[in-house]
Amino acid sequence: MKKHIWILILFLLTSLAYAEDKLSFSGSLKNETSIRIESLNGDLTKEKNIVELAGQYKIKGDELVFFTKAKYWYDAAYDARDKLDIAQHYNGHIQRSDWLRDCYLDYTNGPWLLRLGKQQVAWGQADGITILDRVNPVDLSEFWLPDMQDIRIPLWMANINYSPKLNSNLQLLFIPDWEQSEAAYLGAPFVFRSYTEFDAFMQLMMRNGCTWDVKLNPVGHQFNNATWGLQWSDRIGDLDYTLNFLYGHYYNARNVISTSGTKYIVNRNFPLWRIYGGSFNKTFTNPGPMQGVTLRGEFAYYNDEPTYFGNPTAASTKGYKRWDNKFWLIGIDRNFLTRWTGSFQFSQYILEHAKVGRTVAQETYPMNAYTYGPADQVENIFSLKLSSHFFNDRLKPEVSWSFTDDNQGKLSPKVNYELKDNLVFSVGVHYFYGNVWDSNGQFRDENQFYTQLKYTF
Amino acid sequence: MKKLLVLLAAIVLMANIGLAAELEYFQVYKPKGGMKADEIMRIEYFVKYTKFARDAELKGKAYFIDKSGTVREKETLRQRITLGRKLDDIAYKDLVIFTSPAVRGMGTLTWTYMFPKRQQDSWLWVPSLKKIRKISSANADDSFLGSDFTNEDILTRRFEDETYTLLREENFKGYLCEFDKKTYFKDAPCFVIEAKPIKKPWYYSKRILWVDKDTGGGIYEEMYDPLGRMFKTLFKEYVIYDVNGKGYPVQAMLEGKDLRTGHRTVIVNSDIKFDRGLSENLFTERALMQSRW
Repeated sequence: MKKHIWILILFLLTSLAYAEDKLSFSGSLKNETSIRIESLNGDLTKEKNIVELAGQYKIKGDELVFFTKAKYWYDAAYDARDKLDIAQHYNGHIQRSDWLRDCYLDYTNGPWLLRLGKQQVAWGQADGITILDRVNPVDLSEFWLPDMQDIRIPLWMANINYSPKLNSNLQLLFIPDWEQSEAAYLGAPFVFRSYTEFDAFMQLMMRNGCTWDVKLNPVGHQFNNATWGLQWSDRIGDLDYTLNFLYGHYYNARNVISTSGTKYIVNRNFPLWRIYGGSFNKTFTNPGPMQGVTLRGEFAYYNDEPTYFGNPTAASTKGYKRWDNKFWLIGIDRNFLTRWTGSFQFSQYILEHAKVGRTVAQETYPMNAYTYGPADQVENIFSLKLSSHFFNDRLKPEVSWSFTDDNQGKLSPKVNYELKDNLVFSVGVHYFYGNVWDSNGQFRDENQFYTQLKYTF
Repeated sequence: MKKLLVLLAAIVLMANIGLAAELEYFQVYKPKGGMKADEIMRIEYFVKYTKFARDAELKGKAYFIDKSGTVREKETLRQRITLGRKLDDIAYKDLVIFTSPAVRGMGTLTWTYMFPKRQQDSWLWVPSLKKIRKISSANADDSFLGSDFTNEDILTRRFEDETYTLLREENFKGYLCEFDKKTYFKDAPCFVIEAKPIKKPWYYSKRILWVDKDTGGGIYEEMYDPLGRMFKTLFKEYVIYDVNGKGYPVQAMLEGKDLRTGHRTVIVNSDIKFDRGLSENLFTERALMQSRW
C-alpha cells in the first residue's frame, strides 16, 4: 500500500511539474545496421538498437536547471554471428559507466555559469579531428565513425564559467573523475591492429610456456590526480579566439613490457601530460573576394605526450617516450551554387623527433599507437566535406573524405532522408584504403554499407 | 577655393540627405499617402525586421506541406535584441533554438550589421558534436530552413538590394489562406510596389509587393523569374500588438507557395512578447553553448 502511495505522489509531482512547463523530456529510438562489403554473402557487422532518454527540470526558472540523459544499446550482430562471438559480453552490450551520458546541474547568475556533474566538453574548431578536443576520453569501439557526442566518454566535473565582459568567457574545468579511453575488443570489426598483434604475440609466448602479468594502473579518483582545464574565449573585431590549457593523466593506456624469467610483465600506464593551445574562427563578412568564407583553425602543443616507439616492421613496441609534439589545423568553409556547402581542412601532427636513439644501434622509431606501424615525424592530414539539401531539406546528401600523404584514408558518402517529422532514414558507405599499418588502412577489409533509422520523440 | 567650398557643402548636404532617409530605431512608422516608393519600402523593411522594438521573443511553428498534402512540422523559439549600435556596426542579434524533437537543441546565433553590404555572422550549436561551429553565411537564394522562403526573404534582403517603383495605390483584393481557409486583408488600403533586384543575373527579376497602409508591412508579394513568369507568392499576416501604448506591427503568420513544385510553407508565430528587457548576454556564444539537448 505504502509503495502505491509513493508512486501516486511521484506521479502527481511529475504531472504538476510537467504542467508548469518545468519538466520536459525528449528521447530517441535508433537502429544501426551495417554489412561488411568485402564478404560476398554480406557479413552483418552491426545490428545495434539504441534507446536514449533525456529530461530537464527547471528548479528555479532558467537560473537553476537539472538535466540528465541516459542511453542503452544492444548489438545483436554478436548473437547472430559465431565468429564475432569471442567476447560477446563486451562487444554486444556492455554499457560500462557511460550509459549515463549527462547528469548535471546548471546554475546561471549574471556573468556566472556553473555546470556541475557528468558532462562532456568540446574544445576547438576542427571537424572530426581531436586536437584541442581532449578534455574527455574517447570510445573508439567503432573507430571514429559515430558522432563525436557518442565518441566522447562523459566525466564528472565542475565546469565553471565567468564572463568578465560581453562575448568573453573564462572557463575553469576541475575533473576529479577519470576513465581510460576505450577501443574495440578482440573479435569486433574495428579492433585496432596494435591490439590483435599484441594478442597474437601473447598467445605465441603462452604456447611457448611463458606467462603474462598485465597490470592496469588506473588513475585513482583523488584530488591530486584531477584533470584541470582552462579556456579563455574572446573576440577581437570579428575574430573569435580561444586560449586553452589542459593538465591531467593521458586517457590512452601506454604499455611498458618487462620480463622476469619466463614471465612477461605489462604495465599499462597513463602518464601526466599537458596541452597548451588556442583556436580561432573568422567569417569574412565585408564585401570582397573572401566574403562568405569562414576560416578556422587550432593549434596544440602537447607537452610530455606519451609516444610509442619500437620496431614497426616487427610491430614490437619498446615502450613510450614523453615527447613534446605539436598538432595544428586550418579549415575553410564556404557555401556555393545556392545549396552546397564545402569544407576543407589541412592539419599536421608533428612529433618531436623522427627517431628515438642517436646511434644506429639505438635507433628505434615512433609508432602509430593504433597499429604499431611506423609513424611519420610529420603527418599531413587532409579532409574534404561536401553537403547539400534537396526537396525542402528532406533529402540531405553528404560526402566526406579524409586522407593523409601516405595514400591512405576513408571515403564516406551518406544520404539522409526525412521520412516523417520524427523519422529519419540514413544510408551510406565507409570505404577505407591504404596500408594495413596506417590508421585507416588497417580497416581496408572492413568497408561497410550501413543504414540507420532514427525516431525521435 | 570658392568652388571647393561649394563642393564640400554639397557633399555634406548629400550626406545629410542620406542620413535623413535612414529611419531612427525604436520608433513606430507608418507609410502615408504621397510618400515615394523608397520611403514606403524603408518603412516596410523597418517593420519586417522589428526595428521598432528593443527586443522580441516568439514561438514559431513551421508547416511544410507538399503537393500531396503531406505535412511536416518544425518548432522554434526565437529571440531578438535590436541594438542599432554604430560603434560596432551591430543592427540586431537573433537567437533561434529548435524545439521540435528531431532537431531539439540545435540553435543558431546571428548578428546582423548596419552596413548594408556586410553579411551576417552566424554560429551554430550542433548537438551531434556538442560544439559551436561558426558558419558561413547561407546563400541568399537558398531556402530558409527548407521552407519555400529563401534566406533573403526572411533574413538578409536589405533596402539597398533593390530599386523600387510605386505602381499604384489600391485596396487589396484579399488573400485566401490555404492553411486556415480564412481570407485576410480584404479591401485593405495598400501601396503596390515593384521591386527589382540590383544583383543580376538573380533568381528573380522582380517582386510585386502590396504594402499595408495600416501596419507598414508587406502583406503579399508575387515573385517573377528572369523570364517574367510568376513562380512564388508570399503572404504575411501583420497584426498590431499594443506594447506600452505603442502599436507594434508583427508577423503573426506567413504562407509561402512555390508555384513550380506545389509545395507550401506556413509559419505561425505565437506567444509573442516585446520589450521585456532581454540582456545582450543572451546573444553570445556562451549562451548558445548552454543548449543541453
